[in-house]
Amino acid sequence: MYYLTTIILAVTLAPAAGLAWLALGRQKRRAQATRHYLAALAQATPRELWPDEQGTWCPPPSAGDPWLKVLAEVHTAFRQRARTIQDLEQARAAGEIRAGRALAEAEHVRGILAGLPQPILLVDGYGEPALANHSAEELFPADPGHPEAGPLARLARCQKLVELLLGATRHSGAGRSEEIEIPDGEGKARCYRVDIARLAAGAVAVLQDIADRKTLQKRHAEFVSNVSHEMKTPLSGIKAYVELLRDGDAEDEAAREEFLAVIDGQADRMQRLVENLLNLARIEAGVVRVSKQPLSLNAVLEEALGVVRPSAQAKTIDLRGELSPLYLGVLADHDLLLQAAINLLSNAVKYTPAGGRVALRSRLEAGQVRFEVEDTGVGLSPEDCGRVFEKFYRVQKSRDMAGGTGLGLPLAKHIVEDVHGGRLGLESTLGQGSTFHVTLPAAGQMS
Amino acid sequence: MSKSVLLCDDEVYILRAAEIKFRHAGYDVRTANDGEQAWAALQEAKPDALVTDCQMPRLDGLGLLQRIREHPATADLPVLMLTGKGFELSREELAARWNVREVLSKPFSPRELVERVEEIVKSAKPRAVGGEIPPTQSGGFSNC
Repeated sequence: MYYLTTIILAVTLAPAAGLAWLALGRQKRRAQATRHYLAALAQATPRELWPDEQGTWCPPPSAGDPWLKVLAEVHTAFRQRARTIQDLEQARAAGEIRAGRALAEAEHVRGILAGLPQPILLVDGYGEPALANHSAEELFPADPGHPEAGPLARLARCQKLVELLLGATRHSGAGRSEEIEIPDGEGKARCYRVDIARLAAGAVAVLQDIADRKTLQKRHAEFVSNVSHEMKTPLSGIKAYVELLRDGDAEDEAAREEFLAVIDGQADRMQRLVENLLNLARIEAGVVRVSKQPLSLNAVLEEALGVVRPSAQAKTIDLRGELSPLYLGVLADHDLLLQAAINLLSNAVKYTPAGGRVALRSRLEAGQVRFEVEDTGVGLSPEDCGRVFEKFYRVQKSRDMAGGTGLGLPLAKHIVEDVHGGRLGLESTLGQGSTFHVTLPAAGQMS
Repeated sequence: MSKSVLLCDDEVYILRAAEIKFRHAGYDVRTANDGEQAWAALQEAKPDALVTDCQMPRLDGLGLLQRIREHPATADLPVLMLTGKGFELSREELAARWNVREVLSKPFSPRELVERVEEIVKSAKPRAVGGEIPPTQSGGFSNC
C-alpha cells in the first residue's frame, strides 16, 4: 500500500515538478535577460540611447515579461534624459566654439591694438582705465617716484584727455575730435589729435601725434610769408624806380641809366627766385628736364661769381674766386649746376656780415672734381648743420639777419646729389663761418 | 627850416629810391642799412620822422622801435614802417604797442611814401626837448 501510494504520488507529482522546474528555468532566464538589459541600459551612452535615426535602441525583453511595462517606462525615461544630455552637450559645444572664437577675436584685437603706433586708451562705464596699448603706456609711463599710481593718476598729466574720456562715458552723442597738448618725458608739450568715441559701456580715445604735421604747417606758413617777402623786395625796386622815371626824378642820363639798371637787376633777382621755386618743385615731382653735357666746372663757377658779385660788393664782402688752373670737366646740366653754385654763393654772401670774406675754390681730388664755398659768416650750430638742407628750414639766427625762403640749400643738394650723383656737405663753426663742399664725378679731364 | 627824415632799410636800392624822392621834396635825408646804424644816426640828431624796414640784419625794425620808445628823447619820434612782411605783422599792434603812425607795404610808391611822411610830420606835436641819447645794448625782436 505504501508502495502503491508512493507510486501514485510520484506519477502524479512528477509532471507537476517537471512543469515547476521548467517554469523556474524560464523565470531565471527572463530575470537574467532583464538584468542584462538593465545593465546595458545603465552603461549605454546618451548617443546610443538617442541615436540620430529614430528607432528602438535595443529590443525590449520578451513580450511575456511581467516587467515589460516597467522596463518600457525606464527605457523611455532614460531616452528622455539622454536627449536632454545630448541637447546640453550640443549647447555646450556650440558655446565653447563661440567662446573660442570670441577669445581669438579678442586676441586679434589686442594684437592689433598693441601693434598700432597710435596710443589708444579705453575706460569702462565708471571712467576707470580698462585698456591701454603699448604706445599709450609709453606716452603715460609710470612715475618712478610713485610706481603704485594707477593709470588714471598717470593720465592726470593731461587733464583735458581725462575730461574728454569721462565726458564721453556720461553723455551720448557722436564722437569728438580735438587737438590737445601732452607733456613728453621732458615736460615739453607735444601736440596730439584725439578722437573720442563712446562705447556701450565706457569710451575709447585714439591719439595721433600731429606735432610733425603742425611743424610742417608752420613751416609752410613761414615759407609762404618768406616767398612773398622775397618777391615783394625786388618788386619794390622795380615799382619804385619805374615811378621815379615816370615822375621825372632822373636828373640826367646817368641817373636814368642807374634806375634802369636797378629795374633790370631786380627783375633778374625775381626770375632767380621763381626758377628756384620751379626747379625744386620739378625735381621733387620727378619732372625736371635734365640736359647733361660735358662742361668746364670752372666756367660755370666763373659765371656764378659774376651773378653774385654785385650783392657781395653791396655788402663790402671780399668775394674771391680761387679756381683750379686745370680744366675740370664734368658731365652736367649747365643751368642746374649754375643754379646750385649761385645758391651756395648767395647763401654765403647773405649770412656773412659786411666786410667779411667768401671764397670759391675748385680742384681735382681723388679722381673727382670738387668745389667749395668758404665764408667768414655767422656759422651754424651742430643741430642746424643737420637741418639746413631740409626744405623751408631756416636757421633762427638767419631769420634775423636776412630774408630767405629756405629753398636755396635744399635745391642745391637736390641738384648736386639727385641730378648729378655728387655729394654736397658742409663744415661749420658757430660764429666763425661755414664751408659748403661739392664733389662731382669727373668727366674728360685735361691737364 | 628844412624837414628831415631818417631812412632805414637793408636794401640799398630801396634806400636810394626813397632818398631821391625825399630830397626832391625838400627833405634833409640820412640813411641807415640796419637798426644799429639807425640808432647811431638818431644819437647824432633827431629827425622829423623815421622810415624803417622791419626785417634787417643786426637790429631789426621792432628792436629799433623798442629802443626808440624806451628812450625819452626819441619816445615821441614819428615812425613809418615800410615792410614786405605779410600777415605776421599787425598794423593795430604796431600802432598800439609801438605808436607806429603808418605802415606801408612793399612794393610801395615813393611818391605815396613822401606824402604819408608829410602828413605825419605836419600832424606831429612840437619836438620835445630831449637829452643826449645814450647807446643801448637792448636786443631786438626775432619775429620781424
